[in-house]
Amino acid sequence: MNVGVAHSEVNPNTRVMNSRGMWLTYALGVGMLHIVLLSIPFFSVPVAWTLTNVIHNLGMYVFLHAVKGTPFETPDQGKARLLTHWEQLDYGVQFTSSRKFFTISPIILYFLTSFYTKYDPTHFILNTTSLLTVLIPKLPQLHGVRLFGINKY
Amino acid sequence: INHIVQNGGLYKRPFNEAFEETPMLVAVLTYVGYGVLTLFGYLRDFMRQWKIEKCQNATEREEQKDFVPLYQDFENFYNRNLYMRIRDSWNRPICSVPGAKVDMMERVSHDYNWTFTYTGRVIKDIINMGSYNYLGFAQKAGPCQEAAAKVLSQYGAGVCSTRQEMGNLDKHEELEKLVARFLGVESAMAYGMGFATNSMNIPALVGKGCLILSDELNHASLVLGARLSGATIRIFKHNNMQSLEKLLKDAIVHGQPRTRRPWKKILILVEGIYSMEGSIVRLPEVIALKKKYKSYLYLDEAHSIGALGPTGRGVVEYFGLSPEDVDVMMGTFTKSFGAAGGYIGGKKELIDYLRTYSHSAVYATSMSPPVVEQIITSVKCIMGEDGTTVGEARVQQLAENTRYFRRRLKEMGFIIYGNEDSPVVPLMLYMPAKIGAFGREMLKRNIGVVVVGFPATPIIESRARFCLSAAHTKEMLDTALKEINEVGDLLQLKYSRRRLVPLLDRPFDETTYEETED
Repeated sequence: MNVGVAHSEVNPNTRVMNSRGMWLTYALGVGMLHIVLLSIPFFSVPVAWTLTNVIHNLGMYVFLHAVKGTPFETPDQGKARLLTHWEQLDYGVQFTSSRKFFTISPIILYFLTSFYTKYDPTHFILNTTSLLTVLIPKLPQLHGVRLFGINKY
Repeated sequence: INHIVQNGGLYKRPFNEAFEETPMLVAVLTYVGYGVLTLFGYLRDFMRQWKIEKCQNATEREEQKDFVPLYQDFENFYNRNLYMRIRDSWNRPICSVPGAKVDMMERVSHDYNWTFTYTGRVIKDIINMGSYNYLGFAQKAGPCQEAAAKVLSQYGAGVCSTRQEMGNLDKHEELEKLVARFLGVESAMAYGMGFATNSMNIPALVGKGCLILSDELNHASLVLGARLSGATIRIFKHNNMQSLEKLLKDAIVHGQPRTRRPWKKILILVEGIYSMEGSIVRLPEVIALKKKYKSYLYLDEAHSIGALGPTGRGVVEYFGLSPEDVDVMMGTFTKSFGAAGGYIGGKKELIDYLRTYSHSAVYATSMSPPVVEQIITSVKCIMGEDGTTVGEARVQQLAENTRYFRRRLKEMGFIIYGNEDSPVVPLMLYMPAKIGAFGREMLKRNIGVVVVGFPATPIIESRARFCLSAAHTKEMLDTALKEINEVGDLLQLKYSRRRLVPLLDRPFDETTYEETED
């Protein structure tokens, strides 16, 4: 494999989320996580759901909004080095189908979690803050914005 | 259920191309594989950083730790954690001429592919399914070799000058006239390096204010040449004529981006055979579009010259078209002729212009004389002018080998991409672990194959690529097929569900986004 060979696709990271079966794998992964958490005998059902939500949002934040650049060298002369994966998706075009899917899925998970935790206040606060950490970076207005210089370089 | 396209009489022969869709289960498992590898990669990086595990990579010196880092660690992630694990399938040192059988130096690694040591043993007679040796001219004995040896003793090995200064030998002139006659064009020019032919001549043909329409899967040399030229590049979907027509219409209607002026030139860049997919360009339709919208066509026949067509004249002859319709016919001598270098053929004015303005002609050293003689002898052999029918026999043997090999692989149940007649056969592997496993298992069984993965191919579509040759006898192919069958059963590679997706429904993404120039 010539890692970083020059062909028309300058940054393969932009197309990864659109490829065949990626959404299904993601949904199955979340389901798997939830089943594992449910099988641990110490956690009650509301705790398992909140944990699923929090861990899912944490993972999504780290992989989509914290890690910058590409794991391989690209021939684009470093344009994508300071961009997170979310900002690299589809070369920065907003409101594509992948972006919509990954915006809606934490919201759906949040609805399910709120239902199964019976709208308990502690769980509510935890789940909502966790949802906000994952929704706010996805706003188009925050494309390329780094608050307080965190994660800038 | 091969989809036969007869497009209003443009095609004089059936055009059978198929790209079977990835089975969903395989796609999911491939992503799971990459996910596991990524997690383990992070774990290993963590252990390396905290000195739990020894770091084999190059690291910065202690004194430079406070400086701005020269390289970003993350960019090397894929290289460190995925490529290193299966690195022994590439860069294998061979020690004989890469004909139908090749000898290889055996090497082992005691630290998981970070370093290699030679055992000293030479693995002999490996069936070579990876060399671009389509007509079998990579030989160490025979008429080509004798003629080249004679020219070597007469002219020497080096030319020591560029074409425009003291490097224009009579051999070069003879070669160019011969190549022009072979292709059926008015005039041709030969260069020392195939990659440099593309990357140095496209800037001479187009510049700022021109438009290049290039296929999605064009080779690195075409991409580099297009980027160097400074023209606007627009990419159309692979072999998709509707996409190309839409781009042509938009370009002519809207003109240049801000000024709306008409484009100075529109150049369509396509290849004869695409080496990663094994697909053949739809040349009749491209030529029809080119004539309708009055643009120019640059055809890169790197893999198809000598390999397609009843007398080996390439993809133009394969479709029964006239070479005058293609404005710039480019090709290389590396694949079917067993030499090195590239050529460009076309009208006399074009080639005369390139002789003065091409960067290769002015700055690059000209071709070495024994190589030129190898090409001259092999071209004469293919054309039949050396008095034997060896050339014709080789072309036919290649076509037979192609048909036989593809048919047998399809019957076994593998997913094979590409056109029925292309000698490049990609066999889909999909999962990252199978890339390494396939390469190693085939080497154990004495067959050398080339495997490719991400990012040279899309993330789930890693493949093994077989290049057939006229030098392969039927026994060699049968041995290879038997071993591929065994390895396919062992690694469970027989994914095909026998439902070949018709050409027009190839599942591309609905919309793909391109990088825009800001």
